[in-house]
Amino acid sequence: MKETAFITLTNGFKDKLFRLAKRLLVSNEEAEDATQEILLKLWRNKTKITEYKNVEAFAMTMTKNYCFDKLKSKQASNLKIVHNNYQDENTSLQRDIEAKDSMSWVGKIMDTLPEQQRLIVQLRDIEQYDNSEIAKMLNMKETAVRVALSRGRKIIREQLIKKHNYGVV
Amino acid sequence: MELSNVEKLLEKYFEGETTLSEEQELKVYFTREQVAPHLEQYKSMFQYFAKESTRKAPIDFVPTKTSKPFKMYKWVGVAASIIVAMGIFYQQFPVLSDGFKTEEEQKREAQYALQETKKALDMVSKYMNKGKNDLVYLGEFGNTTKKLIK
Repeated sequence: MKETAFITLTNGFKDKLFRLAKRLLVSNEEAEDATQEILLKLWRNKTKITEYKNVEAFAMTMTKNYCFDKLKSKQASNLKIVHNNYQDENTSLQRDIEAKDSMSWVGKIMDTLPEQQRLIVQLRDIEQYDNSEIAKMLNMKETAVRVALSRGRKIIREQLIKKHNYGVV
Repeated sequence: MELSNVEKLLEKYFEGETTLSEEQELKVYFTREQVAPHLEQYKSMFQYFAKESTRKAPIDFVPTKTSKPFKMYKWVGVAASIIVAMGIFYQQFPVLSDGFKTEEEQKREAQYALQETKKALDMVSKYMNKGKNDLVYLGEFGNTTKKLIK
């Protein structure tokens, strides 16, 4: 596979990989590293790429596994990145503005969901994959995907209603 | 879309039973300016999802930069190691690099080497015997220690 062909192929889902990594790892830099790493892995295996039926789904699964590995090694070294102790140094002003925006609450709430639910809400509500695709990517049953999706959405709703009524989460 | 329809879809949505196209309808409804006041709190949720799906990865992937120099270094390494191996080989066995000798010459050389070796060994044994004679006195130490230990 030629370089240009590879780039056009991966450009189709590069953003999705990044958004997934960002959702799981929270930090922008970590998510960039993860995306770069996955693309590099795909490039090294470019001869096999044509054999895969669905490169995009395959890349999404790779990203998910890579991020989980990252999170695990972080946990092991006691440096787990969660949104409440992670600080993005260069965007504090932007953050202040955003914090007033109720939309950013949704993102914050999403980042507190358990990993599995967070992943599924991301894949379904943001990336618009259907449940059977998600089930294949995550190696789960379709019904389990639906249940996790419903739970995740309900948690977001509860938190939003709380916030809507009291102004705090 | 009618309000009752939206409410019905929302109910289904939170049970995870809506289809992707129904979810798209909800998204369209909630990204409008006017939303029924009692549904206001869902607005930010759908707007967030819509906004997030347009976020771009801030990187460009350039595969050649990472793969090409690596290949070149590999071959340089191979060439260098061959040169080093050849150097060591010729240093260890210079005879092999002297070219070929006739059988006669080889035999004569072997004889000569044998004589030389014999001479050297004779010399060693001669001096050894001489040295050994001097060591007889050491036996006296043994006798003395035996006496003391007893």
